[in-house]
Amino acid sequence: MSMDFTEFLRKLGAEPRSKDPEFLRARQSGPEFEQASQVAEDFERQLERAIGLPAPEDLLSHIKDITRENATAPMLRWRPMAIAAGLLIAVGAAGITWNMNRGWESVDQYLAEHYHHDGDILLEKSSQEPVDNVETMFARFDMEVRPELARIVSVIKYCPTPDGKGVHMVLNTEEGPVTLIYMPETPVNDRGTLEFDSMSALLVGLEKGSAALIGSNTQSLSNLYAFVHDSIIPAVNAG
Amino acid sequence: MNTEAGRQARFNQLAEDYGTDLYRYAMWICGNDALAKDLVQETYLRAWKALDKLQDVKAAKSWLITILRREYARTFERKVPKFTDVETVVVADDYELEPDDRTEIKLLRQGIMKLAPKYREPLLLQVVMGHSCEEISSLLGVSKSAVMTQLFRAREQLKANMQKDGLTGNVHGLY
Repeated sequence: MSMDFTEFLRKLGAEPRSKDPEFLRARQSGPEFEQASQVAEDFERQLERAIGLPAPEDLLSHIKDITRENATAPMLRWRPMAIAAGLLIAVGAAGITWNMNRGWESVDQYLAEHYHHDGDILLEKSSQEPVDNVETMFARFDMEVRPELARIVSVIKYCPTPDGKGVHMVLNTEEGPVTLIYMPETPVNDRGTLEFDSMSALLVGLEKGSAALIGSNTQSLSNLYAFVHDSIIPAVNAG
Repeated sequence: MNTEAGRQARFNQLAEDYGTDLYRYAMWICGNDALAKDLVQETYLRAWKALDKLQDVKAAKSWLITILRREYARTFERKVPKFTDVETVVVADDYELEPDDRTEIKLLRQGIMKLAPKYREPLLLQVVMGHSCEEISSLLGVSKSAVMTQLFRAREQLKANMQKDGLTGNVHGLY
């Protein structure tokens, strides 16, 4: 028995590119079937264009990079570059309690290598325009960022940390652009400081995880300590 | 080709074949470029670690989608992120479109964003990933007839959204 028009329309609405022989026969069984098929095909083409978002140009190269370094962590591809360029001059960060398990020997080394990798690049990308996905980015860590801080974030991305994924941001502060790296699982020596290249870093112990403020030697990071400490907090609905 | 090189070639092929579509899928379920890239990277990291378990290359697409959906659910089990920047991602290529098409596609995108997840996800699996109703049924753990109903309703809602906004072109004239 052939497919009636109502049944045909239902099939057309659910699976317009179906290869079902009965459906394919029905498509050619009369003018109304053919017209409906054409209309559905036009709609599908527009739907495909609407859904077909452009992927980032570097997506595939980033995926393929996963296989390097045996992929023990997705971002370990940074390490060889960072080591080659690494000029770590840690000062005053004694007492940082952290046990290396992802390839960095200390938080100091991690921060210096991390900043050397893309700190300047992100600073260059920063603008006065705030980003609007800070809340979403921190949601995966069950953390919230108070609006006072969120509204001065001009660049934000996920990044590797010694103990998994974290967040790398640039803040537009009264001191000028300052880098903030959030490390959800990494303990630090609260208020510890370090220096590398011509940069200074101030470590901030948070209720959950820690953060590092990184700026030039001329910026007063200590003015931002309380602001950061009080602005990155566990989400209210976190379990 | 030694085993490690073969493994890497196999992985690279999975990246070439499905990376872009997985990003699109991730983008439409989470609505955020950074999260979508992160989900795709996590998916492929897990795939790389478990690549030897993938015996049948024909099953790769479903396998990757399953990993991505699980990663999404795990990451956002407590709090679903808000849609933020689908529109910003698509701006660049939209300049190539005719004005009428641009309007129509914009309304379609708005409609897709408004779809309830139970309608949006099967539609994405079908249109982005090219899954059949049977495959979607298996991935989502619902009956094939339920999938067909969801797909039908998803398209109905998209068309209704376009009509509501005054777009009455022939693409939905018969529905």
